[in-house]
Amino acid sequence: MGLFQKFANFLGVRKREVNVLVVGLNNSGKTTVVNRFKSEEERVTDIVPTVGFSVEKFQNKNLSFTAFDMSGHGRYRDLWEHYYKDCHGIVFVIDSSDRLRLVVVKEELDLLLQHPDVCNRKLPILFFANKMDSKEALSSVKIAAGLGLDKIIDKPWHISSSNALTGEGLQEGVEWLTQQIRDMILSKT
Amino acid sequence: MSSFKRDKKEEEDGVGNIFQNIEKTTVLQEARVFNETSVNPRKCTLILTKLLYLLNQGEALNVKEATDVFFAMTKLFQSKDVVLRRMVYLGIKELSSTADDVIIVTSSLTKDMTGKEDIYRAAAIRALCSITDATMLQAIERYMKQAIVDRNSAVSSAALVSSLHMTKMAPEVVKRWVNEAQEAINSDNVMVQYHALGLLYHIRKSDRLAVTKLIAKLTRTTLKSPYAVCMLIRIIAKLLEEEDSGNDFPYFDFIESCLRHKSEMVVYEAAHAIVNLKRTTSKELAPAVSVLQLFCGSPKATLRFAAVRTLNQVAISHPAAVTACNLDLENLITDSNRSIATLAITTLLKTGAESSVDRLMKQIASFVSEISDEFKVVVVQAIRALALKFPRKHNTLMNFLSAMLRDEGGLEYKASIADTIITIIEDNPEAKESGLAHLCEFIEDCEHVSLAVRILHLLGREGPKTKQPSRYIRFIYNRVILECPSIRAAAVSAMAQFGASCPDLLENIQVLLARCQMDSDDEVRDRATYYSSILSKNDKNLYNNFILDTLQVSIPGLERSLKEYTQNSTNQPFDIKSVPLQVGPSPDEREKKHKSEGMLTSQGPLRPPPVSREENFAEKLSAIPGIQQLGPIFKSSDVVELTESETEYFVRCIKHCFAHHVVLQFDCLNTLPDQLLEDVRVELEPSEGFELLSVIPCKQLHYNETNHTYAILKFPDDDLPSCVGTFGAVLKFIVKDCDPTTGIPDSEEGYNDEYILEDLEITLGDQIQRVSKVNWGAAWETAAESSVEKEDTYSLSSMNTLDEAVKNIVQFLGLQPAERTDKVPEGKSTHTLLLSGVFRGGIDILVRAKLALADGVTMQLTVRSPDDSIAELITSSVG
Repeated sequence: MGLFQKFANFLGVRKREVNVLVVGLNNSGKTTVVNRFKSEEERVTDIVPTVGFSVEKFQNKNLSFTAFDMSGHGRYRDLWEHYYKDCHGIVFVIDSSDRLRLVVVKEELDLLLQHPDVCNRKLPILFFANKMDSKEALSSVKIAAGLGLDKIIDKPWHISSSNALTGEGLQEGVEWLTQQIRDMILSKT
Repeated sequence: MSSFKRDKKEEEDGVGNIFQNIEKTTVLQEARVFNETSVNPRKCTLILTKLLYLLNQGEALNVKEATDVFFAMTKLFQSKDVVLRRMVYLGIKELSSTADDVIIVTSSLTKDMTGKEDIYRAAAIRALCSITDATMLQAIERYMKQAIVDRNSAVSSAALVSSLHMTKMAPEVVKRWVNEAQEAINSDNVMVQYHALGLLYHIRKSDRLAVTKLIAKLTRTTLKSPYAVCMLIRIIAKLLEEEDSGNDFPYFDFIESCLRHKSEMVVYEAAHAIVNLKRTTSKELAPAVSVLQLFCGSPKATLRFAAVRTLNQVAISHPAAVTACNLDLENLITDSNRSIATLAITTLLKTGAESSVDRLMKQIASFVSEISDEFKVVVVQAIRALALKFPRKHNTLMNFLSAMLRDEGGLEYKASIADTIITIIEDNPEAKESGLAHLCEFIEDCEHVSLAVRILHLLGREGPKTKQPSRYIRFIYNRVILECPSIRAAAVSAMAQFGASCPDLLENIQVLLARCQMDSDDEVRDRATYYSSILSKNDKNLYNNFILDTLQVSIPGLERSLKEYTQNSTNQPFDIKSVPLQVGPSPDEREKKHKSEGMLTSQGPLRPPPVSREENFAEKLSAIPGIQQLGPIFKSSDVVELTESETEYFVRCIKHCFAHHVVLQFDCLNTLPDQLLEDVRVELEPSEGFELLSVIPCKQLHYNETNHTYAILKFPDDDLPSCVGTFGAVLKFIVKDCDPTTGIPDSEEGYNDEYILEDLEITLGDQIQRVSKVNWGAAWETAAESSVEKEDTYSLSSMNTLDEAVKNIVQFLGLQPAERTDKVPEGKSTHTLLLSGVFRGGIDILVRAKLALADGVTMQLTVRSPDDSIAELITSSVG
């Protein structure tokens, strides 16, 4: 990397491209979350269940994000691992009104954390306790406790409750993620 | 050295192919850059190109490699580069069949397919359809329907063609898209219209009425697309072919009107369809042929080619019509396009007179070396037809064929020449000697093992019957010295045949066989030892049974019997008589082989190798209790209808004959929607001597269902004359009235009812299996000593020709005609028919029927069989 580029990076002038992986159970709102991040004119109005995955791009600060929005259907969860290897961060979306399947969420999360491509890396993980507007919604603290997030010590993580329909809570979360990834890149270079 | 050579070659090629030296592992390694965070489109496109190149060169990836590279490829969806994206689509299509979890890209592709970027959409649809399975299709159904009626013609075409491909996988789902396809057929774009018609037809092709409606609608409107019109013509032609009504069928007029269409393609298609229709009369043919004649003089080579090819195909069926074009065809002989010239000449050969043969052959010889194998085969076929037509010209033709044999050529080409020579030999005894000589010469230098083996077999069969059998021995023994094991083995068998048939050569053959016993190959040694020990016994009977006549059992049957035998541990030796016999191909099967290909280009899947009917039934019957212990099935008769086909209950019968029993299988069909039949059985009144062992009823018979009931009978012991008889038959059952829509009976109570069936005959033919004897004469001679002979004379007053008499006798006795005696030479008033077969229980039968034509046909029938009551039975049943 040339001296100028290094300098530019340091100042954050040039846009860095990073990949993030968006995972979570089906119907937790992953595609809706990603849709919110996109600029006004690119958003789609009706959102259908994702089959497989879809790639979306959005900007935050001066990071250019490429989000791999994975399908959360039971049948396709095994396919997440193909994309662990070269991502810079993970966005884990949880339906906070779905108390019943919280155990399933925990199971999937544990699998993810134990995966060889994830467990040894200091990947930032952002949790969205989505659907906070719903009546039965659990608070983000309860979800963090329920999933045992306090046991994750080798990775930075953050949980924020969100409502992807209105966009509430999303900005806060993604700003944290941006900061984490930028720190990570800077520390590497 | 080799690398040096390759370098040199590359130099010669100039710039050459940059992909020439790439390797799979390197490319897979390179494909890892797909995983990088920021994609370099140019680099990735090049790697994908290499990958596609490899796949198209036949390089295979295993599942893991394919899956890995597939998932790496999915990451390229983040790039917005148009070229790269389109390469990704191609990559997906290539890998969709090998990689796992390909559905991962479904959402990405649906996004592209419905997106704004037109350049992505068509390709995305095609890729999407290649990764979708039947369960996933529901999810994308909505998008497919939209795409079919899309305004963009490329998108619409892609969706239609993809739907067509998916009808194989999920016909039910695609059927629901009929309305969209209907709409697409009104499109202004030629391709969309064509593809829409294709899809519509495929959806409806199983439903005759729907197809007729489709045609009726489309013939009234004018289709814009010439491709669609061509398709329509093909559909109509296929329908006409299937329909039994005459050509007054209104749609024939449509085809005829297409002869005046403004597009040449449509005109040709219409002419082709008319000419190929089976029932076209000469009046209807005339305009079509004159169109083709016009095309023969066209400046466009494709049109000339198409016209000549079509004329060539129908030269046999409509010689008169084609003869009208002879002048135009003569002009085409000198055409600069060799393919056209070949076809023109072969067409002339098919229609030409005997006098022109020599001239035409000379013409062909002048350019035969310049045309491709495929056309050489066409020439050979023409020569075969010619040889059958003009037997006197065999010398010219044979010389020409042998010259062709000496040229370079592929297996198919050589095989067709050898086939032709063999046909000529079989058909024309005069040509035999020279034909065999040519074949001998050919195997001296033949690189095709299968052909050499066939020719050796033929030499073994035909050689001993020639005037000078000894001259062939040298050719055959040369093979033993020079060739590979399978040819050597065939040569040994051929020599043994000479030894068995020509006593004066026996001594020499024994010497040669003794030498072959030192061979390095097991099979060759085994055969040599086997034959030499049989030949040393000097027993005519042994010769006939073990050298001249080959094994008559059906091979799959033998395999199964042996497997069963090895599984059951018994001390009894294996009985070859228990194996079902090989049935000679029936005449219509043989005819089918010669039938040319159908009109629509779509060919059905390859048929599985034919299994004899007995095999099929044996499997079904063995599942039924009580039938298994009867032993192997001996013969299953043809289907006999016991009712008219439109009656309330439709019953057909198949007679399965065993060694001492006969099983009658009744296929019953209930055609009444408001009745449920229970306990369906056929009550028989067996003629004297037959013993009814058991009846297996069919428990339930719903509307429109075919089910089976069986009756097991024992043949009369020791009383063969009464083995032939007529049984009265009554269908008995319990009727329960039921709701026609649901099929559920109204009440539990039913009532007994019966239905009289036509009488059922157990004939002689049912109990005889056809077996072909290669050397009928020898078998007849041996039978003279060991068998009983019965003779009788009959007058068959109802027959007017020998042909008719022969056909009837063969059918009645159920025996196999030997030595091609089922064909009566023209213009003869006497004929000898030689027949052979096996009676149930494995008793051989040989029959000689001398026929004479004089006020009806007089027949002297001689039967030889080891069992005198069987011979008696046969003579007594004729008449």
